[in-house]
Amino acid sequence: MSVIDLITRVDSICRKFDKYDVDKQAELNVSGDDAFARLYAVVEAELDSTIEKAESVASAKNRAAVVAINAEIRRTKARLLDEIPKLQRLAMKKVRGLSREELEARSDLVSALKDRIASVPDGTTTAAQPSSNGGASASTGIKFNSNYDGSFDSDYFQNTEETDRFRQEYEMRKMKQSAQDEGLDVIAEGLDTLKDMAHDMNEELERQVPLVDEIDEKVDKASSDLRNTNVRLKDTVNQLRSSRNFCIDIILLCLVLGIAAYLYNVLK
Amino acid sequence: MSSDPDKLVAKADKLTKLTLTRWSADWRNATLNYEQAANAYRVAKKYEKAKDAFEKASKGQEMLTSPWDAAKHMESAAALAKELGNWNDVADLYRRASELYVECGRAQPASDALGKAARAVEDHLPDVAVQLYTDACSLLEEDDKDQMAFDLYRALTAVHIKLEKYTDAAAALLRLGLAADKCNASNSQFKAYLSAIIVYLYANDVKAAEKCYNDCSQIPAFLGSDQGRCGSRLISAYSEGNVEEIKRVAQSSTITHLDHAIIKLGRKLPTGEVTAVKAGTEEGEGLDEDDLT
Repeated sequence: MSVIDLITRVDSICRKFDKYDVDKQAELNVSGDDAFARLYAVVEAELDSTIEKAESVASAKNRAAVVAINAEIRRTKARLLDEIPKLQRLAMKKVRGLSREELEARSDLVSALKDRIASVPDGTTTAAQPSSNGGASASTGIKFNSNYDGSFDSDYFQNTEETDRFRQEYEMRKMKQSAQDEGLDVIAEGLDTLKDMAHDMNEELERQVPLVDEIDEKVDKASSDLRNTNVRLKDTVNQLRSSRNFCIDIILLCLVLGIAAYLYNVLK
Repeated sequence: MSSDPDKLVAKADKLTKLTLTRWSADWRNATLNYEQAANAYRVAKKYEKAKDAFEKASKGQEMLTSPWDAAKHMESAAALAKELGNWNDVADLYRRASELYVECGRAQPASDALGKAARAVEDHLPDVAVQLYTDACSLLEEDDKDQMAFDLYRALTAVHIKLEKYTDAAAALLRLGLAADKCNASNSQFKAYLSAIIVYLYANDVKAAEKCYNDCSQIPAFLGSDQGRCGSRLISAYSEGNVEEIKRVAQSSTITHLDHAIIKLGRKLPTGEVTAVKAGTEEGEGLDEDDLT
């Protein structure tokens, strides 16, 4: 029996025995007139499921799962907090069949619900580990720590030919430096793009691996089935042929016996 | 066998209707007739009748306990409904096809059907499209085929961004990150996290972006990655109120490698006032000093 069959059978059994499900019946019996009670029940059910999710965070080993669940919890909290003002307005309305104390109790219920929603833990208290290593190394641009800046004071030293040449070379290099910087920037961007493409290719290949494995298995099974069938077919055809020969043999034998008997009768 | 599709459909209908002389419907021949009629209608471009014929053919295949063929016919019917522009029909037919695929036990074609449906209706019925995408993703995740879910999550995010529901878009991106983590696709995972941070910043929700960044930093590999560094630069630029820095980071190549929709959001950063956050952090430091003394 496959999983699908199990699932469909369990579904039909559940449907059959729904009328014995106490919780479900209690849900259906919630009074339809009282909008407050309905909305309150809905909000409370959602709050319960959110609290369950929050508890599952504590047991989740996978950090990425924690991140995703926390985001969901935060979103649901924001949505529920939006519903609270609506609930408060409904609480103020007088409904027939309800005493004054119950009316006041309702507003208390609403504020209690609001506190409960706000207190659901959503992992906001954990601070980031200091990203000092990452931040420091991400310095933009290559800075040459030059203190000179071409402000040569001629009082300090005499200009010989050599220093003149050095100074000229230095200034030429400084001009070329910005061109070099730009070139290096372009190369860096190109490398970034290449790296990203390589990563994507890697992931795509990893995605294809199980698919190709599946194809391999299926093709193997198909070819072995085919070989089996071929062998059996050959056997069957051989049998058929030889049985036909066998029949021909018997017929010819009967013919010969018939002719012999006839001759025997004639000669007797 | 007459090639007139109307006659074929009439004959097939007669075969399936139970009367005094016919006590059990002959589904095999009826299905054959329906299929031929449907193809003839499609060639003649009579889409409405072709869609009906495909639906009946699919029902016939179901009766013959062949859910795979039934699902295929449902999909053809849904494609024709798309031509007609009946968006509700498209969604329903694709859903039915996906259920039939699940009956066969093949989750991949089931989620493909839902994906096609979502793509068809996303312009006209975006909420329905959101629901379809979410169902398709959960189908794949149940079957441990998370890799295929990436594209669906990205499309879901694009729909949310179009509807300007930024919290939903960010939540979808975080689920993408979760799926990527399950199959160790770290590059996609980190790109998803960076995209989520950008979406929060675009919605001008700096607190949420910071919280998101803190959450994602729990994963050590993210901190040291390109995307993590870019995210931290963005967050620090926002907390300093440095508009130039924000613009510079937004132009950087790391952001360029993300999805188109996210790149567009990134280029439009910063939205709204950035300087307010600075005052908030100073206040916080004052309180801390009080606590120590």
